[in-house]
Amino acid sequence: MIPQFVSPFLELLLAFSLTLALILAYLAIVQRDLVKAAVLSAGQSLAYAFAYFILAAPDILFAYIPVAIGIYTILLLYAISKTERFEED
Amino acid sequence: MSGWLKAASKACALVLLVALTVAILMGATAYTPSLELRPLAEFYLESTLNVYDKSRWAAAPEAVTAMLWDYRGLDTVFESTVFILAVVGSAALFRFSEASLLSHGSKPGERLEEGLSIIVRVVTRIVFALIVALSAAIAFHGHLTPGGGFQAGSILSIAPLLAIAALSRRFVEGLGLTKNSCRALEAAGFLFIASISLLPLATVLGGLGACIIQNQQKPWLPPPGFSYPFELGPIWTGGSLILFNVAEYLAVSSGFTLLFILLALPEEFFRGLMRR
Repeated sequence: MIPQFVSPFLELLLAFSLTLALILAYLAIVQRDLVKAAVLSAGQSLAYAFAYFILAAPDILFAYIPVAIGIYTILLLYAISKTERFEED
Repeated sequence: MSGWLKAASKACALVLLVALTVAILMGATAYTPSLELRPLAEFYLESTLNVYDKSRWAAAPEAVTAMLWDYRGLDTVFESTVFILAVVGSAALFRFSEASLLSHGSKPGERLEEGLSIIVRVVTRIVFALIVALSAAIAFHGHLTPGGGFQAGSILSIAPLLAIAALSRRFVEGLGLTKNSCRALEAAGFLFIASISLLPLATVLGGLGACIIQNQQKPWLPPPGFSYPFELGPIWTGGSLILFNVAEYLAVSSGFTLLFILLALPEEFFRGLMRR
């Protein structure tokens, strides 16, 4: 028997947050405005952080939130400020 | 956008909506973790705070921190070495790293007005204090609650990053966080980690049974064994775990801060230095 680690309710929440992450990642890729794309990517990280919380991994959550939402986004915005804001064909 | 892509995004949105609706409808279903564990997890959970059989204990209720800094301590010490070498290597790539904004440019009155609007500046100052307090709580309770040195250090490094974005680099330099002080703090943290790892080995000379990165005494080493004090009066310290957490907190936060300070040199200022 496979041990059940997550209850059905949390499995649904997990499905919700991971689907949200997928959609936000897709939107970040197709977005032409790079600042908006960076913010969408931060939203994807937030959805992943929620998934870590549901999977009962608070130690990873505490490292993931500052790195993926704070440092990563701000470094991307800093890099965008050195170049053009809009992606061209 | 092609047709199937639109259909796929519609399907994704549908799944999202259904999942959200069902999740809300099911409401406050309680989360009950499974009672079945793998043998390795069972070993760690049984022995990490086993006051009846102290032969394999780590003197800390937080099994993850106990694994990181005690049972698998060598891995984490070398991971910290990798992090510190990465920071030193990337700091070596910057030009004009000694440049300080504090002694250049605007008058003292203008400095207070620097950065974004006054609302953002005031909120950033409040959040700055909150981030510092939260990260200190995570670092000093790392052996009791989830979190630890690396997590707390990366949370603390968000504070100067926010201050650079909302105020300016001058504010961070005014706090004393210059390149040299960050490097000194990072080196101090790393030396602290190294000395905590090597201290048990040094006690072998005094006739104690000990090995490298040892926290509590082990039954297979010759008695009397060496162990870090796991309680100081009413305060539970978890032996070497709190020391390792605080040292890692220092090293990681100052390492990240060093990189942010070096990255945040304004471009006009940099060009001015290039022309000289």
